[in-house]
Amino acid sequence: MLAVETNNLTKMFHKLKAVDELNLEIKEAEIYSLLGPNGAGKTTSVRMLTGLLRPTMGGARVLGLDISENLQEIRSRVGHLTETPALYERLTVRQNLDFFAKLYKVPETEIKPRIEEIVDLFELPEKLDDPAGTLSKGMKQKVAIARAMFHKPELIFLDEPTASLSPESAKVVREQIIKLAKKEKRTFFICTHNLFEAERLSSRVGIINHGRLVAQGSPAELREMRKDETITIFRFSTWESNTKEFFDDMKIEIVEQNQDKKYVSTIIKDIEKQTPNIINSLAKSNFQLVEVKHEFPTLERIYLELVEMEGVPREENNMEEI
Amino acid sequence: MDWGRLKALMGKDLREMFKSKYILSAVIGMPIVFAVLIPLSSLYPLVAIDPSEFEGGDEFPAYFTDLFAEVIPNWDAAGAQGQILIIMAYLLYIMVLLIPIILPAVTASETIIGEKERKTMEALLASPLSETELVTGKILSSFIPSVAGTAFAALIYGIITNIMIYPFTNSILFLDPLSLVFLFVIAPLLSILSVELMILISTRVTSVRDAYQLGSLVVLPLMMLIIGIVVSYFFISTIALIGAVAILLTLCVIFFKIATNVFDRERAIVKLV
Repeated sequence: MLAVETNNLTKMFHKLKAVDELNLEIKEAEIYSLLGPNGAGKTTSVRMLTGLLRPTMGGARVLGLDISENLQEIRSRVGHLTETPALYERLTVRQNLDFFAKLYKVPETEIKPRIEEIVDLFELPEKLDDPAGTLSKGMKQKVAIARAMFHKPELIFLDEPTASLSPESAKVVREQIIKLAKKEKRTFFICTHNLFEAERLSSRVGIINHGRLVAQGSPAELREMRKDETITIFRFSTWESNTKEFFDDMKIEIVEQNQDKKYVSTIIKDIEKQTPNIINSLAKSNFQLVEVKHEFPTLERIYLELVEMEGVPREENNMEEI
Repeated sequence: MDWGRLKALMGKDLREMFKSKYILSAVIGMPIVFAVLIPLSSLYPLVAIDPSEFEGGDEFPAYFTDLFAEVIPNWDAAGAQGQILIIMAYLLYIMVLLIPIILPAVTASETIIGEKERKTMEALLASPLSETELVTGKILSSFIPSVAGTAFAALIYGIITNIMIYPFTNSILFLDPLSLVFLFVIAPLLSILSVELMILISTRVTSVRDAYQLGSLVVLPLMMLIIGIVVSYFFISTIALIGAVAILLTLCVIFFKIATNVFDRERAIVKLV
């Protein structure tokens, strides 16, 4: 069974298409990241999947349940970290967790041990009886993540989970996400514009811009799709004056050449076949080659190219959070 | 309706409210003003006047004397000064009954629009709470402090006025059926109605300040309703009072239905400009 399946999911706010025919298939126990700039439609997509917004067109199934019919059951089986930590600041961390535990019908006898367990996971125990309003931004975010996972949901939507966390805290959160996905088979749907995080965490990523899914796959698959843009660097022990002519004769595009550092960066079509030929030719022509290195397109490069190709995203400035 | 969720929501709201100095000062301060300061400043000067000053004046209209003679056991023996004090005490008691109308403007704004303003609403709406549970929970958590404040005010008001007036009447005021119906039936119903109207307002506004401003408009028709109920009893009959209560009850049910229908998750999350 798929954890999330959308079918041309579309949301319009007046004339603005915030999400445009989104088609996703997310498997159980998968960590899926939806990448996109601000206003791309990530939060709106999650809000539709959690029943906070009604789709204008299309539909979706979450945990096998239709979002137009089984919203209450979906809400009770998923966890949702919203864009803001959304903690009750006058209440203590314990009271915040206890309140949501009761909303999600966690049995009374399990609440206390679960609070202790989850605050240990997220390194929060000393803050348990402090009012949430006195916590740092990062601590609030950790409490909010703990709250989203408290009732052990099968599917967890995390909207920018590590946005305000310190590198150490972000590492703790990432480790917990990976552990929960692997050991407890929980599915994670992460909205982020943190490419580093998406690449390290996710089995697959989707790139969304202007509400449209512009690319999808594992980070490796996305790189494979763009393998023609791999840069190959040839470094020499001595610089020969005819280096440029050599590559021009072989009809290889030079991206950069650096005489002082003695290297040439190139873009080679069909690198698997071509690279050995070029190395042989260089050796025959007495070039003193010391290193050949492929720089595969990073997720960041792919993302930026896709987003730039689509144009600057519009902010969702005709929507007002209330 | 899941009572566990409802109880959790009410518990959370009440805990939050009582940690807010602003709400606490309204819930405690308003009864003090209406139940302590107003009777002391209005009735005490009359109590302090020499009884001889009241002698030889005009008689009250027979309608008043008959009405109060029915409610107050020692009406005739209270004398002119005592009778004026009794009438004043009953008129000021109506002000105590404004508390269940005014307090919800504060408590409901805090529990509903406060959630939006502090951006906690989305997490709440993403939970399995149904619309009916959410609206009912919010009504009850706004209603409880209002009714508690009113009961507290009525108790204090009753003690203070009886201490001042007992020497004239030798009987305890406000234990008559009308006063008790007002306190235990009409005040809670008005409070519910006021909260429901505030919930309707909350679907249209985005800040607590806006809610207060619109909330003050809600208070006015409800005050007219109180006056109407008093008049219906005094000038028409007990049956008219029962009819007025029935109308109030019907309005509460109608506005509950409207509030649960109007309260929409999508509208609560996104406001289209």
